[in-house]
Amino acid sequence: MSHTNALPFSSRSMARDVITDQAPVLSVNGLTTNFDTASGTVHAVREVSFDLYKRQRLAIVGESGSGKSALAMSLVGLVPAPGRIVGGSVKLNGTELVGLDDAGISKIRGRDIGLVFQDPMAALDPLKTIGTQFVETIRVHQDVSAKVARRMACELLAEVGVNDPERRIADYPHQYSGGMRQRVLIAMAIANDPAVVIADEPTTALDVTTQAQVLDLLAKICDERGNALVMITHNLGIVEELCDSVNVMYAGRFVESSSTRSLFGSPAHPYSKALLDCVIDPATAKRGALPAIPGSPPDLSVDEPGCPFVSRCPIGRDELRCATERPEARALAGGAVVRCHFASDTPGDAA
Amino acid sequence: MINTIFKRLGVALATVFGASIFAFILLRKVPGDPARAIAGDAATDDAIAALRKSMGLDDNLFVQYGNYMGSLLRGDFGFSYSTGNSVGSLLAQRLPATVELGLLSVIIAIVAAVLAASISVYSRRRWPDRLLRIASSLAMGSPPFWIALLALLVLSIQLGIFPGPEGRLSPGTLRPPNVTGMFTVDALLAGQWGTFVNAGWHLILPAIIIALGPFAFLSRLYRNQLRGTLRETFVTVAQSHGLRRFPVYSRHVAPHGLLALLPAASLLFADLLAGSLLVEKVFGWPGIGSMTADAIIQKDFAVVQAVLLLAAILYVVVSLAADLIMTAADPRTRVGAR
Repeated sequence: MSHTNALPFSSRSMARDVITDQAPVLSVNGLTTNFDTASGTVHAVREVSFDLYKRQRLAIVGESGSGKSALAMSLVGLVPAPGRIVGGSVKLNGTELVGLDDAGISKIRGRDIGLVFQDPMAALDPLKTIGTQFVETIRVHQDVSAKVARRMACELLAEVGVNDPERRIADYPHQYSGGMRQRVLIAMAIANDPAVVIADEPTTALDVTTQAQVLDLLAKICDERGNALVMITHNLGIVEELCDSVNVMYAGRFVESSSTRSLFGSPAHPYSKALLDCVIDPATAKRGALPAIPGSPPDLSVDEPGCPFVSRCPIGRDELRCATERPEARALAGGAVVRCHFASDTPGDAA
Repeated sequence: MINTIFKRLGVALATVFGASIFAFILLRKVPGDPARAIAGDAATDDAIAALRKSMGLDDNLFVQYGNYMGSLLRGDFGFSYSTGNSVGSLLAQRLPATVELGLLSVIIAIVAAVLAASISVYSRRRWPDRLLRIASSLAMGSPPFWIALLALLVLSIQLGIFPGPEGRLSPGTLRPPNVTGMFTVDALLAGQWGTFVNAGWHLILPAIIIALGPFAFLSRLYRNQLRGTLRETFVTVAQSHGLRRFPVYSRHVAPHGLLALLPAASLLFADLLAGSLLVEKVFGWPGIGSMTADAIIQKDFAVVQAVLLLAAILYVVVSLAADLIMTAADPRTRVGAR
């Protein structure tokens, strides 16, 4: 069932224990984020709920504009203006994060939740050395001297594969390549040992050859430290190789949440099926047009009454119900949670 | 690095040389006869012809320019007919007053622009930004000499808060011993508090008025630069590391704004010179500006030429210095970086 061009990951998704019998590290409930623009309110994240457990690697996949990044930023209260969280809750080990003031959420960011961003070329202050920025990141949360922080930074840089960190730490960002900058940023994100690492398309801006290395590093580091990882991506190859469970996001909602094995084995939502059909396996691919999902994602500023996928859906297209009644999340027998009136993982389960 | 400096010096010299030619030709092509202006309306044509000859005004332009450059290189700026002094001694006598006024204006413009723009961007409310936009539009749109007249009328004559157009000190105030020529500095050095307060009191109003235009320009530029920087990814990243609003702002946003301010501040130097011309005249400030304004009216070529040349040299030096500081301050352009 290889849907993907296999990347040489060493840390596969199998054979790791996700601790799900304890309370979740991160618990998101009904999270809703709007962007109030001049041309209307854009509903970027709509009633998103999920639990994240220790050591879990959770993927959030979807097309561009599906609300993935807005969701990631909502988790740590960094939604750019004019966006704002209008409802729901984000609980970290039981502490509510939504509604915290700048001082409160700043204590959480970096210390409990680390973020890795999409574009490493733009993610470091070009006027400050790596060392200055790294020391600053450590000392925000840890009461250590600049000297100690610098030594810690060097150790972390060595851990993520920066050669000669004692010398390189004095360099400026422009003296690093994109891949190396992302390594530095990963090191900074985990510098205060956060329980949760959120990676928002961490390899999209990188060279293909360095993508695998960076992902490998991220997975290895999270494994060694027992961090939970939220991987936001549109690359299904990354999901299959790296993650335990997947949330498929469409028009601001999770339309399918299931284990990676189940999603790739038997996708329940027609959108998940369509996404998987678009993955090209170089071993079997034929020349010609690339597969694509017909149509385009819906306008997020319109709150349609029915299923947002209805106009592109191969099974629901003609159903009156799909156009008028919004599908609620329901659990299927196989464990997947799906927002579709007709989805089923076993024949006869369909409504 | 050395190469770059030499290239820039070459360009700077060419600029100054060009400015000297431009000033020279411009002044000789404006209508009106300087000999007539000097000799007065009652002078006979013969007397004026003799004066023209002695001033060298009958030679062709190349010869005139050659003579001018020749004496300039010997350190002779020429003779001011309207005042009966050498231009060199006039400059030396009047420069400190203008430098004092100009320096204070620059400081006021930059400090006020940085403060106002910082508050407007850092504040989460909308009114500080609106206020700044309105204030800078007004400051940019009103001619400084008009503001100067208005301020004198209201603040000095009506309300009596500031002294009238009486120059640098109230009549009868003890002049400080001459060290720098700047009265406030010299008074401080000599410990003459009364003189210091009096000189500062005379200085502040014209300095603020000259600073208005540059303030408007710099505050807008700084505000836009800060807003642009706030949208950069590295700002969000710094926040994601746990930095609070103020440290993010002071460590990662403001330095980018200041870096952009530097070359702009050197550009506004021209603004400052032009502004001081009539403002000095209105306030009776005995500096280069009022001297130039008088010299233009009197067609005193030597003075205007010298001032234009001086302005060109200052302008070139300031922008060269700003360039070098920029290069040193920005690690991306710093030479020697790996």
